[in-house]
Amino acid sequence: MHALRVDADRCQGHARCVVFAPDVFDSDDEGYASVNPEFERIEDVPDRIAAAVANCPERAITLS
Amino acid sequence: MTDDQAAETGFDFHGEALDDIFSTYSRLRAACPVGRSEKHDGFWFLTKNEDIFAAEQDHATFSVAPSMLLPDLGAGFPMIPIDIDPPDHSSYRRILLPLFTPKAAARLEDGMRQTARQLLRQLTEQEVADASALYARPMPSIVFSRLAGFPEKDWPKFDAWVDDIIYERTGDLARAQVAAREVVDYFDDLLRAGPGEADGHDLISQLHRARIDGRPLTQGELISYCYLLFVAGLDTTAWAIRSSLWHLARHPEDAERLRREPGLIPVAAEEFLRTMSPVQAMARTCRADTEIRGRQIKAGDRVVLVFGAGNRDPDSYESPDEIQIGREANRHLSFGAGIHRCLGSNLGRRELVVALEEFLCGVPGFSPARPEEKWHGIGPLTLRLARS
Repeated sequence: MHALRVDADRCQGHARCVVFAPDVFDSDDEGYASVNPEFERIEDVPDRIAAAVANCPERAITLS
Repeated sequence: MTDDQAAETGFDFHGEALDDIFSTYSRLRAACPVGRSEKHDGFWFLTKNEDIFAAEQDHATFSVAPSMLLPDLGAGFPMIPIDIDPPDHSSYRRILLPLFTPKAAARLEDGMRQTARQLLRQLTEQEVADASALYARPMPSIVFSRLAGFPEKDWPKFDAWVDDIIYERTGDLARAQVAAREVVDYFDDLLRAGPGEADGHDLISQLHRARIDGRPLTQGELISYCYLLFVAGLDTTAWAIRSSLWHLARHPEDAERLRREPGLIPVAAEEFLRTMSPVQAMARTCRADTEIRGRQIKAGDRVVLVFGAGNRDPDSYESPDEIQIGREANRHLSFGAGIHRCLGSNLGRRELVVALEEFLCGVPGFSPARPEEKWHGIGPLTLRLARS
């Protein structure tokens, strides 16, 4: 089981995660990203989430 | 003095220095990853991806005052919000944030596509055409001017101002300052005329309505915002489109692959941004004595973050100097990082992708008509166009 989260202190609204995994991440009215609730705990890490993590310019997405 | 030392002390990232800058970056990253140039009154420069990222996160040590640009853009005042440090920075930036979200950029896509197609109709009437003057430059100028609310009758003046302020300032500062003065006067007049409509959605109308700590923006603040949006919105996207087409004209196999797999265009766009970033470097000022890789940087010293070098750092990317249009792990520095991340990145990315989609769809084949034209800048890109 992994906990997927976006660190709000680090996110600067690049929105790469929203592009790679639009069903997993959402962005608010100022462009800051969050994880949709159904993906906050995931068994496996699909490629699109791995890509979002790897491409986040702020390294703000964590899997633990 | 050795060649490495000469490369260090003579390092510059403007004009002709860009012709062969990728080999300069390789040399500097290996020989002096943190270096000291004598150009522009002296500055330190960081070439390693990790060092640049760390400096961008550390705004307590690295200030953006007096200007994020080196040399500055000649306006004589700080540009809001990029030249403003915390704590004032976040309230200034917050005003603009909702206007540049991915959703806001997506709403502009139909207009972008129409503009691209109109421009392509003119371009494809010719056998040999300047794709920079006829496509890469006008597309972002039109898209952004519409968004900003800059009146269409004024658009023809914009290109010359951009050329003088951004590209001539390193050689002819006086010319840049004259243009800067004209741009300031232009926005002063435009802003005094007030918003077009009280509920207008353009940036100028929204800036007129904006409140900061409960008060409206001053005329000086409004001019500063407009000046920044003008210089940031017009030329960088033009460079990104032009440099991408520059590469595709020289690599028809890449153009062909993107025609076959248009879904790959956004991935390719990131690779073009990484390898040929329109912003090769941005500056900071060190607030306190600090040490990076053994070099002693003093409070008050200027420090340039060389995004273009970090973007080709072999410790961060495999085969960094190869343009691989399918590269999937591509965390690059081209829009910066940290609190000053390029506010227009979502808009710029979408414009680049739409520009490439439409160009590849509308132009069946293209090759360099003047192979000596360089990868950088927004000068001519002369292409021989194939007939369908």
